[in-house]
Amino acid sequence: MKQKMTVAEKREARWAYLFVFPTMLGLIVLNFYPFFNTIYQSFCKTGDFGKGNKLVGLLNYKMVLTRAETWQSLWNTVKYAIIEVPFGIVIALLLAVLLNKKIAGRSIYRTIFFLPMVCAPAAVAMVWKWLYNTQFGLLNNVFHTRIEWISNPKIAWISIGIIGVWSIIGYNMVLFIGGLQEIPGDYYEAASIDGATGVRAFFNITLPLLSPTTFFIVQTRIIGALTIFDLMFMVMDKTNVALPKVQSIVYLFYQYAFTNGDKGYGATLVMVLVAFIMIITFILQKAEKHIVYHN
Amino acid sequence: MKRKLLAATLTTAMVLSLAACGGSSSSSSGTAASGSGSSGSGELQVNIWDNNQLAGLQQIADEWTEESGVKVKINVVDWDNYWTLLEAGASGGQMPDVFWMHSNTAQMYMENDLLLNLDDYIAKDDAIDLANYYEGVVELYNRDDNGSQYALPKDHDTIALLYNKAIFDKYSVEYPTDDWTWEDVRDAATKISEAGKADGIYGYAINTSNNQDGWYNIIYDYGGQVITEDHKGTTIGSDEAKAGMEMLRQILEVAAPQTVVAETGTDSLFNSGLAAMITQGSWMINTFYKAEHHDDYAWAMLPYADVNGNGQCDKGERYSAYNGLGWAAAANTANPDAAYSLISYFCSEKAQKEQAALGVTMGGMKGISEDFANAFEGMDVSAFTRAEEEGELFFRPYTRNTTVWEDALQQNGGFLDAWLNPSDPAVMAKACDNAQKIIEDAIAAE
Repeated sequence: MKQKMTVAEKREARWAYLFVFPTMLGLIVLNFYPFFNTIYQSFCKTGDFGKGNKLVGLLNYKMVLTRAETWQSLWNTVKYAIIEVPFGIVIALLLAVLLNKKIAGRSIYRTIFFLPMVCAPAAVAMVWKWLYNTQFGLLNNVFHTRIEWISNPKIAWISIGIIGVWSIIGYNMVLFIGGLQEIPGDYYEAASIDGATGVRAFFNITLPLLSPTTFFIVQTRIIGALTIFDLMFMVMDKTNVALPKVQSIVYLFYQYAFTNGDKGYGATLVMVLVAFIMIITFILQKAEKHIVYHN
Repeated sequence: MKRKLLAATLTTAMVLSLAACGGSSSSSSGTAASGSGSSGSGELQVNIWDNNQLAGLQQIADEWTEESGVKVKINVVDWDNYWTLLEAGASGGQMPDVFWMHSNTAQMYMENDLLLNLDDYIAKDDAIDLANYYEGVVELYNRDDNGSQYALPKDHDTIALLYNKAIFDKYSVEYPTDDWTWEDVRDAATKISEAGKADGIYGYAINTSNNQDGWYNIIYDYGGQVITEDHKGTTIGSDEAKAGMEMLRQILEVAAPQTVVAETGTDSLFNSGLAAMITQGSWMINTFYKAEHHDDYAWAMLPYADVNGNGQCDKGERYSAYNGLGWAAAANTANPDAAYSLISYFCSEKAQKEQAALGVTMGGMKGISEDFANAFEGMDVSAFTRAEEEGELFFRPYTRNTTVWEDALQQNGGFLDAWLNPSDPAVMAKACDNAQKIIEDAIAAE
């Protein structure tokens, strides 16, 4: 039942709107307008320099959905997510549990693991590009191998995924540490009296009570991984033979929209990605009830 | 206490990361600011993409400032981002005052009236006579439908063969000469690759992306054309072009594998002493001139194709691609007179000679590039100027939206397949047919 607002409440609401206004303005100008414009452009054959857009109906969609490269890129993106999300989370969780204990040099370790987050992604990618280099790379030189880490289509996607995991661990870890510190110590005390410590306590107390944090990380990381672009773009040369098996859908979007100047086709690719992410998010939201343990 | 320490660490990390973000965003806003140069502050904003040329061009621009009293700020934006930024600036009406134009997109910018029409200025200007410049470069910045001129030739470039004398000495192979054919290159590359196998040294290195500075030239030597002279078609699938690419295939058989050149890059391979020969353009001389082992490096003219088999280089058997940048101004610049004055100064005989003498680039004006050959003490770069005296030049192939087909040719479905299977002549012939189709489709879509 909706009740009528009192005068005082109305006055309060007016102030609230005033305070929210700057944020709303930013959202409208920077998010909503581009969003609807992208939808519009996906139905256009766009002209040069944003002029002379011609409506062509579903032509772009027909091309995007019938080309094999679209589906290959979408599959590449999913493969990247399959590596980055689970490994990034499991490793981060283990580190968070270890670094939540009272061990010597804890802060130093935490800082070290968080450091990749502080580096500019482009710089990270450049360093990894040379680590992976077949001729001069540190990896091949240390292990005396000649593995084509980023040129062999069979392993290049894993190599890229590893960079993703390495970059994200620190961030996930900090979120997990935050979650861990919210679990009251009483539970562990009670459990230890009952004889449950160590691994059993981890699976029976830590994991369930941490599930809201875990779910949050899973959801944001899936979306983050599906929009990956910079790693492929920086690490792999345009003429790399493995590129078609690694390039993400956002990479494909960049290629069409900015390199080839076909904004309409690029917009359509983005719409496909949006639809895909919406489906995934919908499924996750449905699953939340069954996965997340609420205290 | 521990918790405070953690908080402090995290805060520091946050601040650092913010600083990192701030750093990158301030640099991008720095370039964005350069896009909004037409603020009438009395300073001209100039955008270029080659850091090697910054010092020389700034010196020339400062001389102009002394005459005109208008300051010039030159910003360098790397090649890829240059076009993204310029396009965004053009769409939003915020372009730099004066900037470089390139054959890839010149027609598109001209047709959309984004560049300042220079006709009236040139007519009134005694210092500029278009007949003194390379025709191909002048024509490039001449709009097809109204015949107006939108940029003045800044420079031109040619291609030459670069080789590492130390590697040739090591395996007792004779140095390349100006009389070499592509067969000679293949034979020398074969010897070096076989002898150098244990050391990981390759006789030759070329990637699919080395087009203007690489395989385009071979196609023209053998009588094919990547883009026909009217810019409306191609003969890359013809027997002549296939003969050229078949010659290249035989070189590829002994050259560095494609995965190697894609990961490391031909220039890095050469500079690390792992490739004996590469082809490169005159705009890259500085990179090799300043390299650690530059004493070992030498340039020869591009090899020719002895198509008629008479054992000497005849007309039409030795080609080098050439390209020329143009100095253009934004149509909506706040200070068109000053912008043109600066362009005119850059392209005047005095500044063109200075540009060559400083070793920035060869001139857009004809007959002033001798000084360029002398600009690199201890390195003979006359191969670049001799290429145009003794051989023939073809203008770098371009259409209205060059990047679309140029990129496609370098990747799967284009010539990448042939680079990966150099031992199979059929794959190369098929790649030529595919290339014919790629270019025709791209032109049809323009």
